[in-house]
Amino acid sequence: MNVSYLELLKLAAPETIVVLTALAALVVDLTSTRDLEARFRFIINGMIACAGCVAAIVWMLVMPAHANALEGMFVVDPLTQVVKIALLGLTLFTVLISMDSTFTEHIGEYLALILLAAVGMMFLVSAEDILMIFISLELTSLSLYILAAFNKRDVNSAEAALKYFLFGGMAAAFTLFGLSLLYGLSGATNLGQIAAALEDKGLDPLLIVAMVMIVLGFGFKVAAVPFHLWAPDAYQGAPTPSAAFIASGSKVASFFIFAKVMMIGFTGGETNGVHEIAGSAAWQQFVSGWTPVVAVVAVLSMLLGNLVAIVQSSVKRLIAYSAIAHAGYMLIGVMAHSGEAVASLVYYAVTYGLTTIGAFGVVAVVEARSKDDQLASFAGLSRRAPVVSLCMMIFMLSLAGIPPLAGFFGKFYVFAAALKTGAPNLGLLWLVILAIAMSAVSFYYYLQVLKQIYVADMPAGAEELRVPVLGQVVLGLIAVGVILLGCAPNLLVGVLQASIKAAGL
Amino acid sequence: MNVGLEHYLVVSALLFALGLLGVITRRNLLVLYMSLELMLNSANLALVSFSRFNDNLNGQVMVFFIITVAAAEVAVGLALIVALYRKRQTAHVEDLTSMKL
Amino acid sequence: MKVEALTWLVLFLPLLAAGIITLFTLRNKAVSATLSIGAIVTGFVLTLAVIKFGGWDARELSVNWLSIGSLNVDFGLKLDALSLMMLLIVTGVGSAIHIYSYGYMRDDPGFSRFFACMSLFTFSMLGIVLANNFLQMFIFWELVGVSSYLLIGFWFEKPSAADAAKKAFITNRLGDLGFILGILIIFTALGSLNFTVLESGNSIAALGGMATLGGLLVFCGAIGKSAQFPLHVWLPDAMEGPTPVSALIHAATMVAAGVYMLCRVFFIFTPDALTVISWIGGITALLAALIAVQQNDIKRILAYSTLSQLGYMVMGVGLTAPEAGMFHLTTHAFFKALLFLGAGSVIIALHHEQDIWKMGGLRKKMPVTFWTFMVGTLALAGVWPLSGFFSKDAILAAAHENNLLLFILGVAVAALTTFYMFRLVFVAFLGDRRTGVAPVSDSKEAAQAGDESMRQARRLSYEPHESPGVVIWPLRILAVASVVGGVIGIEALFGGMFKPDAAHPHGLLAQLVYPFQHAPVAALSGLAAFAVGLFAAWKLYANAKTDPLPDKLGALSRAMANRFYFDEIYEATVIRIHDAIAAIADWIDRWIIEGFCIGLVRGGTDLTGRALRLVQTGNLQTYAFLFVLGVAVVLWFVLGK
Repeated sequence: MNVSYLELLKLAAPETIVVLTALAALVVDLTSTRDLEARFRFIINGMIACAGCVAAIVWMLVMPAHANALEGMFVVDPLTQVVKIALLGLTLFTVLISMDSTFTEHIGEYLALILLAAVGMMFLVSAEDILMIFISLELTSLSLYILAAFNKRDVNSAEAALKYFLFGGMAAAFTLFGLSLLYGLSGATNLGQIAAALEDKGLDPLLIVAMVMIVLGFGFKVAAVPFHLWAPDAYQGAPTPSAAFIASGSKVASFFIFAKVMMIGFTGGETNGVHEIAGSAAWQQFVSGWTPVVAVVAVLSMLLGNLVAIVQSSVKRLIAYSAIAHAGYMLIGVMAHSGEAVASLVYYAVTYGLTTIGAFGVVAVVEARSKDDQLASFAGLSRRAPVVSLCMMIFMLSLAGIPPLAGFFGKFYVFAAALKTGAPNLGLLWLVILAIAMSAVSFYYYLQVLKQIYVADMPAGAEELRVPVLGQVVLGLIAVGVILLGCAPNLLVGVLQASIKAAGL
Repeated sequence: MNVGLEHYLVVSALLFALGLLGVITRRNLLVLYMSLELMLNSANLALVSFSRFNDNLNGQVMVFFIITVAAAEVAVGLALIVALYRKRQTAHVEDLTSMKL
Repeated sequence: MKVEALTWLVLFLPLLAAGIITLFTLRNKAVSATLSIGAIVTGFVLTLAVIKFGGWDARELSVNWLSIGSLNVDFGLKLDALSLMMLLIVTGVGSAIHIYSYGYMRDDPGFSRFFACMSLFTFSMLGIVLANNFLQMFIFWELVGVSSYLLIGFWFEKPSAADAAKKAFITNRLGDLGFILGILIIFTALGSLNFTVLESGNSIAALGGMATLGGLLVFCGAIGKSAQFPLHVWLPDAMEGPTPVSALIHAATMVAAGVYMLCRVFFIFTPDALTVISWIGGITALLAALIAVQQNDIKRILAYSTLSQLGYMVMGVGLTAPEAGMFHLTTHAFFKALLFLGAGSVIIALHHEQDIWKMGGLRKKMPVTFWTFMVGTLALAGVWPLSGFFSKDAILAAAHENNLLLFILGVAVAALTTFYMFRLVFVAFLGDRRTGVAPVSDSKEAAQAGDESMRQARRLSYEPHESPGVVIWPLRILAVASVVGGVIGIEALFGGMFKPDAAHPHGLLAQLVYPFQHAPVAALSGLAAFAVGLFAAWKLYANAKTDPLPDKLGALSRAMANRFYFDEIYEATVIRIHDAIAAIADWIDRWIIEGFCIGLVRGGTDLTGRALRLVQTGNLQTYAFLFVLGVAVVLWFVLGK
């Protein structure tokens, strides 16, 4: 096995760029901007971070690559490139919405950790080897744990991080144990080889245990019931931009790798370098192994997430529960396991991530002025900050799945792909019915937020909220993105389809 | 007595279960961490034994990486405990209940 | 460039207007109104041009919107007799309502916002009408929901308005749930969403066992939007919106969307599905008519009347006569918009008084409003040769042909319709002013006039007067449309589209007498129903008071010396039974449908939410334990199989 390290560096250039940017932000903040006012430090270093993200995105756009380095340790193909670009975009928006915050003086460290978490996600997306998957998962998680604890003035922040950490550690241990069993059964660490080795083994109980453990490890990352319990606490306690990143970037990456592991690792068979998705008898056998697990998890997530969200009074918790519900919808896409389903899943995850960052951005604006994120603090927001309120309306309606916003099309696409897979016997029909019914329920609590914003009276003595221009522009941009992706989904879906075809999935 | 793969696996599974039990029942956060480490190491044991019986080195390579990752995890975890302790003067899990509903 | 391309303009002009108003001209009332009115009037003119130069033939314009693997969706415009006629109704009636709003909303602080919402609504409605595939239709369908939410809740400071808006939205979502599911099933089974492709592909056969289910699920959407039983509860409450909104949404456009959709996708309904549809329609028609009799709020009477007429249309579609349903939709749009706007004119003249028992004697004070309202009433009641007669007759004829039970029901509803409408006319317009004055206490001015003596003075000096020109001109135009709507070839147009083989009347005279030749039983029953209804209303409401009417008809009333006797019979039988049935219907409406079903759903979710919240204790080890429990359950579930 001969690897040219220069070649490898070129393949991993976007990741390298982001790592270097992280270090640069760290160094600049520790040396030259130390004595400036916090606000300027945030702007200067934030701009450095943004520049790094943009540079990495541009690199990927200009230098398309298609390679499989080190036997699946690092796979670059058009699909992973698209997902990475989306991840960097989400990172960019996270950095932008945090520029206005005041929860920390350690600005360089904060930005560096966001970028490192992004690097972890990027490696995760490229990994087709269980070792690589584990390490990049951990890199992402460890950075996110610290990000959650970043508000040192708030007791809840440390508590949230600790819960996130302990829960995450447990989930990681489960995943690792599952992966070790998988390795033991197949004797390989590469997903494709694992699938090939498992094909003639059949479905033995140990394999099922391995599958369950891996699924629940990912279930933790995407906050699916019953592995969701950390999410509401972590979202509520963590600083809002951190929570936004946990809810968006981490979710996109986790779902992507989840689908990938499920499709390549457990679907059996890689012939001539092309993954065969469906058709073989072995496939049917493996599908019957993990589909019920995912189905149960999806159903529980949709039910619990939506129903508990109704009674929340903290908006961040409300979004956390709605995130659980959305994980349930997305799991339907995972179950559909077809090329189209992957496209729909990525579309859903990316648009969902974008919308959630926007919603958290609005929460951050309100939180900065009224010191908490209770529903009551949003009362009469439309009269205090009309632009921000309008953005929030778009985000909430998109999350509720109202056309023509991105949230609607994502749902439609995932459900259609799921039904298509099940056709002609409509195997996933009941799940889809449940999902649609629950999304109607979800409408109730999203409307609750909007009712506070638009109908409820302003608290006495409240004055106009002064939202920085940058913040308004960023939220406006995200809102426009949500509308645009909903009205012209082809922008993203077309790219996804093409790259999936090119990636041979 | 001939020691086979299954023996290693049983030990590993027992260690995993012990760790899990520790996470669920112990009150002190530091002990909780140790239990977590135990769970990770049980996976390491399984990997090493699989590696021996599968006759390739992949598993052992993985173990080295996992040990490193575990060290990083402990570093982060201890930092979090210190941060909490400064605010709350406690290292007990029961006290971590300020957020609910 | 072909003339059809103008349709794009028709569709997007209102959106443009809404956008410009929201972004730039919120402070400038005149510009906002001009933009909004200009957009819709231009739309009307352009539609006329398209029809004039392009004809009624079916054709399609589309641009590719989404082409991803098997999911290939166009963003297209489907033009045929159905959509073009509907386009004319929406832009035409819409124009009248927009112009009227200019007068009606003049003093409202949210004037510009109102027109922005109206334009957004128009855009969404046009989108439904022009959609050439299910997905596009659904998107606009939801947009209509959103914009009607904004319009109904326009006066959101009023809690009742905010609640009504929310109720409308949520009830509609309930129906849409079925709709999207139906769409998904059709898409999965047939692989296309395009109407033309589906229609030519013999979709019922291709759907097989799913056909009835799929059709009924799609019908769910219409149940919600067209306020059919049992999802009709939102419509009467939605009258909380400004009156022009009631006219726009609840007479001419939004509620008609359901019926329009049924006609558009008529080809996917199996006979079983159609039977269900016709009965749902029939039940709605009867129930709503019964309730209307018991209402005192002028807008609510009209709301229930709308419900009842929508039931008629749906019944018509269900009786395999979509052309009759569409015909009635068209004429109904004319006369119901007219009635709503007339009511609005009365309401502003009386400073937001809506109780008909506090009106009376408005005929002399507001002659134009009265006469146009009268035309609307007669058309609704189905008097030959006004438009309502012909369209109602078409539905009754279809019922007579297919289902005798529904025919009887239809005739009964027709009689009831006449009865409640004339009750309204007798009480509100004829006779003396009931309380002498319209109470000022309800109006906004009263809040300012805290002083009792001031209020007294106001009341004495108060006189209702005719509304300004911008309000009454739309009334006149709509009145003309209501009169001639039945004989200008609309029936033949729809008939030619849905049943090209059958003969359809052409020419004025042929159309005038067509009902009597074609289905004399239905036509005569309709007229008889009118007579019965009118007689009953007159007996009960015109002669019950000592208003000018008995004086004028003095000889006639003395000649009916035994009218007291008649009244008692009415009192003992008709009214009692009537009251009882209406009360029961109202009770069912309020408690079973609204209280139980919707309450159960709401309460159930609330309770579950609270129960599930117990799990989230905040204690980490509880979480860890639950995590492990989850693992164990999943393992057991998978391994146990």
